[in-house]
Amino acid sequence: MLSRMAESIYWMSRYLERAANTARLVEINLLHMIEAEDALTEENQWRPLLAITGMEQGYQERYGDAITAGKALHFMVQDAANPGSIRQALRMARENARIVRDRISKEMWETINEFWLTTQSNLTPTLRSDQAAEYCATMRREGARFHGHTIGTMMRGDAYLFYLIGTFVERADMTARILDVKYHTLLPKGAAVGSALDYYQWAALLKSLSGFEAYRRLHQGGMNPAEIVGFVIFSEQFPRSIRFGAEGVGKALAKVQKGAGRGKSLVAMQALQDHLESHGGPEQIINEGLHEFLQGCLGRINDVNLALAHDYFDMFGNDDLAAVAEQTQ
Amino acid sequence: MQGLGSRAVHEYFKDDFEPREHYRPLWEHIRQMGQSTLMRKVQEAHLAMLAEGVTFTVYNQGEEGIERVFPFDLIPRIITAAEWATLEAGLKQRIKALNLFLHDLYHDQNILRDGVVPAELILNGKDFRPEIMGIDPPGGIYTHISGIDIIRDDNGKFLVLEDNLRTPSGVSYMIENRMIMRRILPAFFEQYRVRRVDHYPALLLQALRHLSPRGAGAAEVVVLTPGIYNSAYFEHTFLAKEMGVELAEGRDLVVKDNVVYLKTTRGLKRVDVVYRRVDDDFLDPLCFRPDSALGVAGIINAWRAGNVALVNAPGTGIADDKAVYPFVPEIIQYYLGEKPILENVPTYKMTNVEERAYTLDHMAEMVVKPVSESGGYGMLMGPASTPAQRAEFAAKVQSDPRNFIAQPVVPLSRHVCYLDGELESRHIDLRPFIIYGGDDIHVVPGGLTRVALTKGSLVVNSSQGGGSKDTWVLANGEGASC
Repeated sequence: MLSRMAESIYWMSRYLERAANTARLVEINLLHMIEAEDALTEENQWRPLLAITGMEQGYQERYGDAITAGKALHFMVQDAANPGSIRQALRMARENARIVRDRISKEMWETINEFWLTTQSNLTPTLRSDQAAEYCATMRREGARFHGHTIGTMMRGDAYLFYLIGTFVERADMTARILDVKYHTLLPKGAAVGSALDYYQWAALLKSLSGFEAYRRLHQGGMNPAEIVGFVIFSEQFPRSIRFGAEGVGKALAKVQKGAGRGKSLVAMQALQDHLESHGGPEQIINEGLHEFLQGCLGRINDVNLALAHDYFDMFGNDDLAAVAEQTQ
Repeated sequence: MQGLGSRAVHEYFKDDFEPREHYRPLWEHIRQMGQSTLMRKVQEAHLAMLAEGVTFTVYNQGEEGIERVFPFDLIPRIITAAEWATLEAGLKQRIKALNLFLHDLYHDQNILRDGVVPAELILNGKDFRPEIMGIDPPGGIYTHISGIDIIRDDNGKFLVLEDNLRTPSGVSYMIENRMIMRRILPAFFEQYRVRRVDHYPALLLQALRHLSPRGAGAAEVVVLTPGIYNSAYFEHTFLAKEMGVELAEGRDLVVKDNVVYLKTTRGLKRVDVVYRRVDDDFLDPLCFRPDSALGVAGIINAWRAGNVALVNAPGTGIADDKAVYPFVPEIIQYYLGEKPILENVPTYKMTNVEERAYTLDHMAEMVVKPVSESGGYGMLMGPASTPAQRAEFAAKVQSDPRNFIAQPVVPLSRHVCYLDGELESRHIDLRPFIIYGGDDIHVVPGGLTRVALTKGSLVVNSSQGGGSKDTWVLANGEGASC
């Protein structure tokens, strides 16, 4: 397929996944806030979310240092000037869908188009905080509807493979970020380990990844940080674990790669998988530094992203053109 | 514009406000349907088009762009089989002659030597492309895809208002309008045998594949679009999708050793036929405008070398130059030895001293059009103009007569439309689409009926607030008595 189309499909699925993941994150945070906790200020409640989604600096530039729930919510969900907001991620997903419109099914196009048009009109007035959680849930469902239509109607060619790659890259990235930031805020207060607050925070983390119930079923011993870390990073069954995402990308890449000349992406992918396997169990990772381990994951995910551009999206820089043409004659 | 409405022919009603014969079953349906159902159908049509993205985007109202549905009217326009037979024959004749004209202009220029068309008119035309002199496009065809604008005058006669031989748009709306009508108002079709239009993309693909330098069996066809910010982008995706071919932008193509390639995830892939929706000026920065970022460097050389087919061929713009339009009847006579089946709207050439003097004396009754604009831009509607506007145009005409033509205001025929809950009459025109394939000229039985939505207005262009209707051409034996 056309390189530009492959790139747009990849970004369409990444942005859509990002919008849905951010919506879930915000939704869980809002629900979690409903019951009072002394230790939890608005600032403590929202700063981690801004950090996870890489919006901390953007927020500060716009509103200064003080973080309030209302501003953070507006900024993350509907601010048209914030390129990371759910609204803007969705807009980018839809713009990319428009570019590849002739390569995706009618159902996919109509779903994402309607999703954007209703979001655009619903998010023009400021969202009421008591309706925000429900609205985030709606957006999550719409994202899932698109995903369902994709699975049900999209031809299983290269375009579909790039869709999967985009989805899994974004998912692995988001999972690593959520775990990194939450773990930071969770662990330092040694005194709180095992407390009610600790329990709810871990539960919120799992819910942010739609993994709460699955975790409970697998691990009956309560909220054990090492088990949670193991589950979120390594589970082969949990579709939002980092390993699951890495394997999803790896499988799709291997199929795309057949018949194509360059293989930087496969190498970059292998590096991520090696990184996952190179550390013992979750206890060892926690002892040696979970933050460093997760940063290692994020760096390698970014390498995959760059390698994809090199191999597929932007492989025709002037210098390379002659070589590639020779290859394909 | 006062008084024109009463002069204009009504497509729908006879003089006594009885519907014409072929509109009677439709009229019955509309009457039985009642207001609330019609209103609901209008809403359904609007939502269906919005959801599908049958829209154009207006970008000047803030950065994000506002999506607009191309206004669609529910009441179909009906053309009888007999009327269509005349139109079809006339359109084929016209396209055949214009093609011969283009071939002649870019080869021997006999028609200029014989003085049928003034040589300076052609050679000074900004759309004449000396760069392509002597090139033989596949099959000798220049204008593979055309849209000819037809109006019906106050005597009920079909006339050609304008030829569009570059990248005419609107065919996707012709097909979408029909799909929507079938879905939301199937009952309207019950007592009619309406001819199909949705095979257009198949016809187009066949014609395009036929042009492949490597033979129709190995034809890689692409649609070349200026990109998502082009107002016709919906149509470009529609055609690519319906034909099952790639939709490329200029940056997706590259020319190497006079061969055009697509940049794909599996390397470079040879391209044989480019249905380009990019104007000549922007097509090849090496040949035409060097600052164009929309085109493909070297594509004209690849075309000249016979390695790729360009559709439409470069240089067709000279044949739909409005200054050439008044000569089309003579052009038909010259190449085919036939009388034109479809006549032109009477037109005054501003390069002719007497006709110019007459026009300047009668500006208030004329439409004055710049020859190189399309989309209804930059023209003077005499009856609706102010003295200051007329003086301004008179000065323009005098300083650059080659650049203008003038026509008496023709009262376009009217049709019933359902607008804001009322049945109203509005002026309409018709743009049928013609494909010049390898074997034959095909006119898809239908077209885009454009509607001037503003009461009394004669301007139907979508860029100027026009809408459209589904257009029914009846199968033989139906409505032939009308």
